Amino acid sequence: MSSLLPLVRNETIKVWKKKRFFVVILVLLVLIPVFTYAQMKVALNNRDKFDDWRLQLQQKITDYQNQLSSDRIPEEWKQSRRIAVQQLQYYLDHDVNPDSPNAVTFSRSFVEASITMFIPLLVLAVASDLVSGERSTGTIKMLLTRPVRRWKILLSKLIALTLYVSLTLLATIILSYLISGIFFGYGGWTLPVFTGFVIQGSEVDSSAVHAVPQWYYLFMSAGLTWLSAMTIACLALMVSVLVRSTAASIVTMMAAIIAGSILTNMASSWHTAKYIFSVNLDLTNYLAGSPPPIEGMSLLFSVSVLAVWAVAAIIVSFSVFTKQDMLN
Amino acid sequence: MNRGNGLWRLIGITSLITTIVFICGFGFAMNDILNPRQAPSLGDLGEPEQSYVKDDVIHVTALGDSLTKGTGDSTGEGYVKQTIKLMEGKYDKPVKLLNNLAINGMRADQLVEKLKSDKGYRLAVSEADIILLTIGGNDLFRFARGGNAASKQDAAADNTAENEASSSQTDDDIEDQISLEEVKTNLAEGVGLLRQTLELLNSINPDARIVYIGLYNPFYDVAELRDGSLQVQDWNRAAYDVIHRYPNMLLVPTSDLFEKNLTRYLASDHFHPNHDGYAAIAQRIVQAID
Repeated sequence: MSSLLPLVRNETIKVWKKKRFFVVILVLLVLIPVFTYAQMKVALNNRDKFDDWRLQLQQKITDYQNQLSSDRIPEEWKQSRRIAVQQLQYYLDHDVNPDSPNAVTFSRSFVEASITMFIPLLVLAVASDLVSGERSTGTIKMLLTRPVRRWKILLSKLIALTLYVSLTLLATIILSYLISGIFFGYGGWTLPVFTGFVIQGSEVDSSAVHAVPQWYYLFMSAGLTWLSAMTIACLALMVSVLVRSTAASIVTMMAAIIAGSILTNMASSWHTAKYIFSVNLDLTNYLAGSPPPIEGMSLLFSVSVLAVWAVAAIIVSFSVFTKQDMLN
Repeated sequence: MNRGNGLWRLIGITSLITTIVFICGFGFAMNDILNPRQAPSLGDLGEPEQSYVKDDVIHVTALGDSLTKGTGDSTGEGYVKQTIKLMEGKYDKPVKLLNNLAINGMRADQLVEKLKSDKGYRLAVSEADIILLTIGGNDLFRFARGGNAASKQDAAADNTAENEASSSQTDDDIEDQISLEEVKTNLAEGVGLLRQTLELLNSINPDARIVYIGLYNPFYDVAELRDGSLQVQDWNRAAYDVIHRYPNMLLVPTSDLFEKNLTRYLASDHFHPNHDGYAAIAQRIVQAID
């Protein structure tokens, strides 16, 4: 174990020196103001049209109800609308504004919205060239000629990756809080958020619904987001071991993630799709009580699927990496 | 080397702590979802905010069925938005639509239910200066209750531009679906519910002016269904029975508008008004209110 810590240190500093993490920060610094601006436009528009958020919420409910009466809308879609109506009604009945504009609400919804695409993309920026990058530059040979077992080298890379996944998520939350706070104010930590909606068919069972302060909700969604980000990180590490070039490794992972999000949006009747990892990434859905993309999915199911994929990826990467010939 | 050491400490410790925090967050989330605590009392959520509706503006809330929704108007304005525009001209004051809470196919019993229990409806009604209301069409022509016919018409009306063809099928279908006997039995029940609706509105907000838009017979040009106009008039008469007792209520008749202008004022679904039909209704409303 004593020989592992210097290796982790080495890997961590290597990623830092390669400025991968700066890219992540830069992307966040550009994109978060864009989203904040869009959000502010929406808020201004709503303030213009509605004096009171309750009236706005009621209008939203009525609009959803009107959509339900149209025959052109597919049944799965109607079902999710029906559920949304019941949840919004619950908020209205308890006089709680589900999207009051403040920095914490923004950060919370930003994390929730980016769990399937944006966070994985940022993770890929660090993870994808962890091994393949060293191979294309040839430094992998230097690393492997040291008197250290190969599995230790890969393990140190995995640990460093874990650290950077956490840092990426932390940076996302902090930056979105700081930037959106300029426009929306920095309050909102203690606002109540409802969680615990249980969905049965198109009915919402609200007997287990309870209010939690928003900071606690953000804390929980961050934890769930971290788990999906880690799954992506493990898979990206595997691809990076298997594929020679960094570009190929990023493209492979992106293709898998985008395919998953397309499948999710299709409200698929193809039930076995639920075993694909990228369909299961949206763990915060379960916290908000949105209907799962495919029937029969639950939090436990999704977490297990993600865990199986992550563990399989780790096993593959270790067994390949320890036996692979490093030719170049 | 020294600088590398400091950097490593900083990154290492920060990221280790965040990792532990996120793992805890994940644990708490799992626990919260899998073992949801029974709902605690929600009384401690804080005082409801005071409403901040401004005074120097006339506030309008629209309630009711597809007519208030504006179904059939390809511009999406319906009579509600046109009325508001005309009112702004008449009063020279800003007029603001608080909410248009109309739902396609809504019946009086559903509206009564909403007004009794739905906080959002009650709030929108209580803050309005003028309430625009259409209800009863779906109670009287109960064929809509079957659901299929009504939603077919709504769907057709939603995109009149695409569905011009649907107008050709209407006449024959409608005759099959409506029997005047049925309409008669629906009348008594429906009027009772209308009375309840108006009384509820009045009890929620006794200061608001309530404008009820009367029914018309969209099938006046179908010879077998022309007598339906009698039922429509009976309905309007019964509605007026309730309305004339309250000084703040007003019945705006529309049946005469449509009788000779069905082709000009009706949308392609042969049931809802089109843009011009709604414009005519809006003019009536603005002429009638003081």
